[in-house]
Amino acid sequence: MSYLGHVLTHLRKDLQLEWRSRDSINGMLFFSLLVVVVFSLAFDPTAAMSRQIAGGILWVALLFASITALNQAWTREQRNRVLDAQRMSPAPPSALFLGKAIANLLFVALVEAVLAPLFIVFYNLHALGQGWLFLVVMPLGTWALVCNGTFFAALGLRTRNRELLLPLILFPISIPALLGMMQATTAILTGEFEPGLWIRLLIAYNIAFTTVCLLLFETVLSAE
Amino acid sequence: MKLSWIFGPSMEAHHLLYAYVTVWLIQGGYAAWIALQWARTGKELQSDPADSSQFDEDS
Amino acid sequence: MKRSRILGLVGIVWLLASLGVIAYATRLGLILAPVDALQGNIFRIIYYHVPTSMLSLLFPYVNLVASLFYLYWRQRDPLKALTADAVAISSAEVTVVYATICLWTGMLWGRVAWGIWWTWDARLTSMLLLWLLYVSYLMLRRLSSTGQTHTLAAVLSVFAGIDVPIVYMSIRWWRTQHPAPVFGGGGDSGLDPSMRPAFWFNVLGWAMWGIFLLVFRYMLERRRQESEQDAALQAIEASLEIAQ
Repeated sequence: MSYLGHVLTHLRKDLQLEWRSRDSINGMLFFSLLVVVVFSLAFDPTAAMSRQIAGGILWVALLFASITALNQAWTREQRNRVLDAQRMSPAPPSALFLGKAIANLLFVALVEAVLAPLFIVFYNLHALGQGWLFLVVMPLGTWALVCNGTFFAALGLRTRNRELLLPLILFPISIPALLGMMQATTAILTGEFEPGLWIRLLIAYNIAFTTVCLLLFETVLSAE
Repeated sequence: MKLSWIFGPSMEAHHLLYAYVTVWLIQGGYAAWIALQWARTGKELQSDPADSSQFDEDS
Repeated sequence: MKRSRILGLVGIVWLLASLGVIAYATRLGLILAPVDALQGNIFRIIYYHVPTSMLSLLFPYVNLVASLFYLYWRQRDPLKALTADAVAISSAEVTVVYATICLWTGMLWGRVAWGIWWTWDARLTSMLLLWLLYVSYLMLRRLSSTGQTHTLAAVLSVFAGIDVPIVYMSIRWWRTQHPAPVFGGGGDSGLDPSMRPAFWFNVLGWAMWGIFLLVFRYMLERRRQESEQDAALQAIEASLEIAQ
């Protein structure tokens, strides 16, 4: 089987598992909805102000929501010692990682698709910049969160307090990416400055960290 | 030039004094912590191999 | 035993020498260097603040290189890998200590010079993020279970090493308020010649002190590893005795 075949098999398995329970998507959806409501109560946004803050709130909501799902991402594999079986299988470990990361990307993207209309309604938004750039920023930003998040969830898998550990190591590493996506989103919403620089930052961040994740995943998976 | 101005009442003097003192507190504290850990680890090393108290720790 | 005694002696001499240099440099900075024309006496914080921050940018490289060596040696030569890991943790801790001092003295200086404790400008933010990164590295080391701490920490250190330049660039695009670097900035940004000895002696003194801390912490970690190995060996022997 080719590398791509392995990735697709893992992806199909993860999607199937999620489709049967739909736990993490439902959890993420409701959680991010709660965050949106709580923030709009806290800031009482008017249309002009909400453009300034909505980018930050959107990504903070998604960040927290994806943390809840990422924490669960690998526990499934631990049941019935599936992870040990994965470790022994001749398939490349990075394919396992890539499959799971893409699955998580799809889950978070689904949440974004539901969340975006809510955001527009609750915060009275309409983009003053080039709205179509969201189609570039959202996938790039989501991948930046999900790729490192999946990797660190695997890294913290056998540690004490793994639910606590994931945000502790994910947030500091992701701060440049978070800055990039928040700035790009704010730039698109307000139209006051160009998002191009931040999109390039996100692209560079994604390329660098996806490479490192793929290279080091085997080390983490077999760390003893 | 005399050093006594550093104990003067101005914020400038206060902050300079705090800075120099806390730098020493932090660095000295860290070095002292290492020394303390060093002494503690040493005790474990010297203890009698037949002493069963070492095995009390479960991992 | 003789070798360890010589090492101890060298360590003490090194410690005394670095303390001497720091004492001399502090005297230069506090008393002999002239008062800054613009900022007055508070400018003397620079003699601790800037050398410390320079060094706190240096130690992460030690950590990164040691972690890479650890990952390389992990399966090829586990004993060497353990020494690399000891270097990695000691440099991470020293980084956190130096970065803490840099942030703290910077805040004290900023309160006097700018009137505010903190501002989200490029340099301050990147230093804070550096501090956060290495604190999270130390947290990971505390929280992970014994068998795999070294590997996981080394992996995180590689991530942190890649993150640092990205952080630096992104924050620079985000904000810039901090004064340009005193050295290598524009033509007139250099330190006044009369202040240079105080400055460079402080750099030397804090570098020597940092190396002392690094080596001392390294020796402690080696000592811990040895005692852990002894304990493990004894546990294995004990379990064999029970089995018989």
